[in-house]
This record gives sequence, C-alpha cells and structure tokens, in this order.
Amino acid sequence: MLKKLKVSKIKIITILFSLLLATFILVLIICVVTHTTPHALITSLASEEMQFAIKLSLITSIVSTGLCIVISIPAAYALARYNFFGKSLVNTILDAPLALPPLVAGVGLLILFGTTPFGKALAEAGLVFVFTPLGIIIAQFFVNVPFMFRILRGTFEGINPRYEHVAETLGCTETQAFWHVTLPMSKNGLLAGSVITWSKGIGEFGAALMVAGATRMKTETLPISLYLNMSCGDLELAIASATILIAISLVSLFIFERYGGFARIF
Amino acid sequence: MIKIENVSKDLGEFLLRDVSLDINDGEYFMILGPTGVGKTILLETIAGIYRPDSGRIFLDGKDITNIPPKERNIGMVYQDYTLFPFLTVEENIGFGLKLRKIGKREIKHEVDELANLLDISHLLHRYPGTLSGGEQQRSAIARALILEPNVLLLDEPLSALDVQTAERLRQELKKVHSVIKTTMIHVTHSFEEAFLLGSRMAVMNKGEIVQEGRPNEVFRKPNSEFVAGFLGVDNLFQGESAIKNGIAYVDVGGVNIASTTLKSGDVYASIRPEDILVSTKQIVSSARNSLQGRIEGIVDKGTVVRILVSVGDTPFVVIVTKQSFDDMELRKNMSVYITFKASIVHIF
Repeated sequence: MLKKLKVSKIKIITILFSLLLATFILVLIICVVTHTTPHALITSLASEEMQFAIKLSLITSIVSTGLCIVISIPAAYALARYNFFGKSLVNTILDAPLALPPLVAGVGLLILFGTTPFGKALAEAGLVFVFTPLGIIIAQFFVNVPFMFRILRGTFEGINPRYEHVAETLGCTETQAFWHVTLPMSKNGLLAGSVITWSKGIGEFGAALMVAGATRMKTETLPISLYLNMSCGDLELAIASATILIAISLVSLFIFERYGGFARIF
Repeated sequence: MIKIENVSKDLGEFLLRDVSLDINDGEYFMILGPTGVGKTILLETIAGIYRPDSGRIFLDGKDITNIPPKERNIGMVYQDYTLFPFLTVEENIGFGLKLRKIGKREIKHEVDELANLLDISHLLHRYPGTLSGGEQQRSAIARALILEPNVLLLDEPLSALDVQTAERLRQELKKVHSVIKTTMIHVTHSFEEAFLLGSRMAVMNKGEIVQEGRPNEVFRKPNSEFVAGFLGVDNLFQGESAIKNGIAYVDVGGVNIASTTLKSGDVYASIRPEDILVSTKQIVSSARNSLQGRIEGIVDKGTVVRILVSVGDTPFVVIVTKQSFDDMELRKNMSVYITFKASIVHIF
C-alpha cells in the first residue's frame, strides 16, 4: 500500500516542466488575442490598411507557395529517385536556406536582384524585385522552399518505384506514370508541404523586410503591418495582424499534424 | 514465344550475366533461385523497365530490346501487390484500359469478367488497403490480365501470403493459366511452387542461369552442388497416393509410404533426413513407416553422418549423430530398419 503511494520524483518534476512550458505558450497567445475587444478587432480588420495587408499577404504567400511546389516537385523527385554526380552536395545546398538567418538571406537577395547585372537585366525586363511585392514573393520562396523540398523528397522516397514500373507495363510512359500514380500517391505530402510553406510564407518577415522594405500600403504584409503599427504605437491594428497570424498558424499546425506526420522537416 | 539472348545488366547491387532463355507460347515457366540472385531484374528487364547492357530480347520474333514497356504488352505482378492505393479495386483493374481510352461500359464488362474468373467480384468497390494479401494479389493479377498480355511476369506472387492462402492462389494460378493460356514466367524461391506449376524451370544463381529443364529432370539430375544444395530436399519421391482409413499411402517404386497429408493421385512426398530413425532390429512403435533396407553409402560430416539406405530400389537419406553412428557400429552393406512417423511425410 505504501509502495503504491510513493510516486516517482522524476515523473513529477518532468511533468511539471512540460506543464510550465505549455502554460507559458498558452498565456502568450491569450495575451495577444485578449488585448483588444472584439469590437475593436472587427473595426481594425475592416480598415483599409488591414484589408490591404491581408490581401497582399494572401497573394504573395499563395504565389510563393505555388512557386515552391512547381520547383520542388521535379527537384525532389530527382533527388529521391536518381543517382547522379554531386547528388549529396546538391542535397546539402538545397537545405542551406533552413540554417541561414532570414535577414542574411534577405541581404543576399537584395544584392543579387539590386546590384548584379542579372538583377538589372531582370529589372529592365520589367521584373523589379527590390522594394516591390515581387521582392516579398522571392523572399518567401527562398526562405521556405527547403520545407517543401524536404517534405516532397521524403514523400517520393517513401513510394516504391515498383508502382511506376507496374504503371509502365500497364501502358504509361514514364511521365504518365508520374502523373497518374506517383503524384496521387504523394497527396498527403503535397498537402502538408503546401500548408507549412504557405503558413511560413504568410509569417515571413526578415528576408521580406530586407528585399521589399516596409512601405505602408505598398509592401505591407501582415507581419510588416504588425511591425509598422507596433513601432508607431497603433496597438489595435498591430493586435489585429497578430491575431490573424496566430489563427493561421494554429490551423496550419493542425492540418500539418493531421496529414504530414510522416514527413521529416528537420 | 519469348527469346532472351545473352542478356547482361549490372545494377550494382544486383546483376544479370549472359542470360539466355527460350520460352514457348503458352508455357508456364518457372525461375527458381535464392533471394538476391537477380530474378526480379530479369523480369524487369523482360518487362522493359531496364535496358540490358548487352544482349537482346525477342517477342514472337520481333526485337523488343529497346522498346518501352508500354509497347511490349507484357504484364507484371509483384510480390507486394503494388495496387494503386488511391483507386478502388475496380479502378485498379481497369487502369490499363482507361489509359487506352476504352469506353466505360466496355471497361466495366471486361473488369467484371476477370473479377469473376479470379473470384473478387464482391471486392470491386473496395480500396486495396482494406483487402487481405490474397485478395490484393488476385486483384493485381486481374489488373495485369485485363490487357491480354503476350506474357505475364509473376515476381514471387505467393511469397507474402500465409501457407493456406498461398496454396489456394497457386491452384488459382494453375486454373487461370489453363483458361487464358497466356505465357507465364513465374519467379520463386520455393521448389514446391516450381514443381507444381512449372512445365519447365530455370535455376538462377549470382545473376546466371545455372540449370534449365523440366522440374523433374532438374531435381533428379542437379548439374552442380549449388543446384543440389538449393533444392535441398534429400528424400523427395514421386508416386501414386491412395487414401485408406484416414491415411494416405504413396506407392514409390514398390515401397509404400504412409502420410497424414491427405492428398491422392499423382503426388510428391518429401521427408527430412533428420526425421528418420535407423535401427539394426525392427522396432515396435507408433510410427506408421518402418522399412527394411541396406546401407549403400556413408558420408562423415563431422558431428553428423549421412547414411544412404536403399529400400528396394528407393534410396533414403538419413542423418544421424556421429555418436549414434559409432555406438551402433553401422557399416556399409549392413541390413537396417528405417522408421518415421506418417505425420512428418510431407505430400504435395
């Protein structure tokens, strides 16, 4: 009887730590969302500036996620299926943006698109990245493409190539086998990758700030709006941005956990 | 008819070396060999997944070495079924016809017909993940057969199944072959499958075909130690079985062997040499089989001794420990009794 009453010390202490940590995170989120009244929140959300920020955030994040998908699918497929010279080096380089601080990535993008002949040629062709919404897109793309790439590479590696072989014996070309079989089988990975890339994109601040700057009503995405309004003391607008970002993060996390549990991101 | 001429392929981990085979129309051809000797690559090379490094493959006289899989019309069934998980059984089976832009009604008709043949009609609306192994393999076979392939390649189709399901599906394969008469090339590591299904077989080792012939011939006259060792059954007998009072009696060249496996007709019986008792006098026991014979040969293997005992004209291999061998003072040409239970006689 006494033995049963004796509880493990380490159990109590470790559980206590986990509860503390969870409380800390929860308090933080509650602080943000309860800082303003529902009425003030709705008024802020309806303001022209917030409408612009929401729209710009949605457009840039959707376009950059699309770019990540279009470029990661073939790249991830190649690295999952084929052996070629320099493969492991390519793998390492493709992961590099994960480790790079976004601010540094932003500086790099600024130099590439602002000062090099390549960037100047693009600008002359009408593709201006510096201090424009296009810059936001390229910043989001650069910082987040490794997430998409890694999830898809893991997904493709998990699909036995025999499925494609069978599809070919049933009348598919190699490309058709990819479209009709491999891609549908990658559905969960694609969904998880898209959600994580999109939600990271919508929250992207550092790199976008460097390339596109923080100009009200021009390159003002939700995080930029949060930063601008916070620095000039307009707390209600800042909280509105923060609340939207929190909601997006939580929903994305839920979807990712539900469909992407298999994928290794880090 | 499919003709493989000096095909070699090096995939690093697996390889094929100078493989040549002639397989006739409508034949059920078995390729037998242990794991990792290149059996699967051979099939995949025939299907066109890999191009051979050298050598040629002919189908009905036409060189198909360099044409893509989709133009060969060679069906493939893998051990792990590889049904597309996002399609129902019906859509899986109809996959090949849909690619060929066949009308929905015609596809439905063909799918129903094959589902009937393979006894999976009740599963058509289900997804592969909800089916048992045997049901998945039937579906995979139907998916390959719907295109009326020139050749059907089966890569260890029964290996992932439990014994009973495998046996049922094996009979099913035999039935399917007799109905549709497609040329089948079936890869396996089970000599039992090879015996029961194959009209001819080839044994593979290290990427090469080491022996080819009718199963019986290969077994009777293995041309190398590898083949003999791989086939590995010392006491394998062919005979006529008849069931009396709940026991099967197999007549093997005049010697009657009792077995509890109830199968009648033309059968094979196998007995592991370790399961046979040797005695110098007849012993009274519950074992149903007690035969008198003469020691024909003795091979000392260190801790055990292999003894060849012939009963009439039928040779039995018996393995005893070195100690028993010494204690019993067994000699060549000695008359001995061999005793074994009916339950250890495996009939197939």
